[in-house]
Amino acid sequence: MLEIKNLHASVEGKAILKGIDLTIGDGEVHVLMGPNGSGKSTLSNVLVGNPKYTVTEGSITFNGKDLLALSPEDRSHEGIFMSFQAPVEIPGVSMTNFMRAAVNAKRKYFGREPIGAAEFLRLLKEKRKLVGLDAHFMSRGVNEGFSGGERKRNEIFQMAVLEPSLSILDETDSGLDVDALRIVAEGFNALRTPQTSAMVITHYQRMLDYLHPDFVHVLVDGVIVKNGDASLGYAIEERGFDWIKNELKA
Amino acid sequence: MSSIQQYLDLFASQRTLLDEGCGLDPLNARRDEAARMLDATGLPGRRTERYKYTDVEAALAPDYGLNLRRLAPGADPYARYRCNVPDLHTRLRYVVGDVVTPERTDGNDGGEGVQVLTFAEAERTMPGWLDRYYHRAAARTPDGLTALNTLLAQDGLVVRIAAGTQAATPVQIVNMADGTAPLMSNRRVVVVAERGAAGAVLFCDHARSGQPMLTTQVVEAYVEEGASLDLYSVEETHTANTRFSHLYVEQQAASRTALGTITLTNGLTCNRTDVRLLGQGATTSAYGAAIADGHQHVDNNLLVDHAAPGCTSDLLFKYVLDGAAVGAYAGKVLVREGAQQSLSEQTNANLCASDEARAFAQPMLEIYADDVKCNHGSTVGKLDESALFYMRQRGIEEHEARLLLQHAFVNDVLRRVGIGSLRERLSYLVEMRFRGRLTKCNGCSLCK
Repeated sequence: MLEIKNLHASVEGKAILKGIDLTIGDGEVHVLMGPNGSGKSTLSNVLVGNPKYTVTEGSITFNGKDLLALSPEDRSHEGIFMSFQAPVEIPGVSMTNFMRAAVNAKRKYFGREPIGAAEFLRLLKEKRKLVGLDAHFMSRGVNEGFSGGERKRNEIFQMAVLEPSLSILDETDSGLDVDALRIVAEGFNALRTPQTSAMVITHYQRMLDYLHPDFVHVLVDGVIVKNGDASLGYAIEERGFDWIKNELKA
Repeated sequence: MSSIQQYLDLFASQRTLLDEGCGLDPLNARRDEAARMLDATGLPGRRTERYKYTDVEAALAPDYGLNLRRLAPGADPYARYRCNVPDLHTRLRYVVGDVVTPERTDGNDGGEGVQVLTFAEAERTMPGWLDRYYHRAAARTPDGLTALNTLLAQDGLVVRIAAGTQAATPVQIVNMADGTAPLMSNRRVVVVAERGAAGAVLFCDHARSGQPMLTTQVVEAYVEEGASLDLYSVEETHTANTRFSHLYVEQQAASRTALGTITLTNGLTCNRTDVRLLGQGATTSAYGAAIADGHQHVDNNLLVDHAAPGCTSDLLFKYVLDGAAVGAYAGKVLVREGAQQSLSEQTNANLCASDEARAFAQPMLEIYADDVKCNHGSTVGKLDESALFYMRQRGIEEHEARLLLQHAFVNDVLRRVGIGSLRERLSYLVEMRFRGRLTKCNGCSLCK
């Protein structure tokens, strides 16, 4: 599904990613761990085409297409979704209008008619239930006055509506209490199919418990320094990142 | 030679025609004073504080014709033009150029306690009434454009909401610029909301002609004790239109006003609003939105005078500027000595979508009382890039995302529009404007 080769990227002239190689297959869940500032969020942002980040070298292929040649919108249409670490507030743009615009943009990309009013409302209702988001949020501005937990739930709600094939969860668990985390994780799991994949950035073992990742990668200073399965994640939880850094020095 | 000279010369040579065509003593009696003032001080220049951002001389320099002989519009305006808001029933009155056309009903209240009359009708049915109100509020602050209007005005409209009346039907005054040659119109309106009355007046400015049109407009609104008045002004004209509008509001104790000014399409617009809070506990909310591109020019200037204690003013103006458009906002809240417990909020926000667009912002406070709470602020900026990217990540095209953000920015102002159906219509028109489907006004798209 996704193949990243020798990826180098910088932000405001500063090199952050220094040669990432990563392949994500259909139906796989990959967890990305690493100390603060190691490049995890940069990698996420590069994948979704955030214009603040510049790719200086390397390639990304997504379902056979050159991802770097696509606009952020087209990457979304092609099936990439990012749950933002800090979802932005968009006052005045109601959740309903926002979601309608997003759904119709995708339909237009695939040459389909805009969604009918009744079908759209049914869709929103069904997906809201999945993450326990109350109906009144739909008439509010996007994330306007939402608590931290509500924002993260809203991210998974949007993911549910847009049905991406590759979901990037950038610290979706941070700032959530145990119940909210369970709801978000269960919502995510409910959306998994043998065709959908995920790249999950997390610092916490609890997320590993819920998601049962197939692979765990450790990112240090812009490169992946260690690959493993879920047990690697638990080892980091127990021992921190220093043992990996020490291993590297040795 | 100053641009004003052509108007003074015209006045001197056509005085008799003007007076006879008008035939109204309250108007004719005030022309000499206006001429003296214009002769002595001329037009306000760029050094006049309230006209700092608009070149009045240049705007008045072209040779515009005047309808001195009071020629009535040829066709039935109610058939020729259409201006209505879906689901909004109004008392509709057309003003073509500066000629007030007859109402389809008898002009009287229809049982509602609201009279909509031409000045001539008011003089006939209520002798002495017009003289009490005409040019009373306007005369308190000498102003060159108001003087020019007073010099040349020949008719106008009265909206009188009788004491205690709770008018359910808004009055709608549609100003139509139409003609085959450049024309100057001088419009005048007197609105009186008597003790305890409540009502709304909606002004819609439209252009049916691509000819250069110049309008001066003076609206005087008297809001008596405990009365409530909503005034809305929606401008959807043409890039060849120049409008100088001056709104004077006098509010007595416990009265309330909401003054909305929306500029959707125009050429040059210069709106002056003076609100005097004269009685304890009076409140006003003045809000406005402007969308301008190309070489459009929108200048809103407000003066809110807290002359009595316990009054509240709340000002919100937002502009979206693109192309080489100019948006100017200046708002001054004056709290006089003794006007204790005044509350005032003032916000001006501007979005500049291009590098050439210019926004001038000047929110001001002048306070002579010590127990008051007053805030003011202003921002000039671009669209929130992180919000834009968030939307694009969800698949929303960049152009559409910008449009949604701009629309939301303006909707924040439209939320204050008290009439639901009007609010929805304006929101729709704003969206059409951003989509480039409202580039010029041919008749009235309020209704189509």
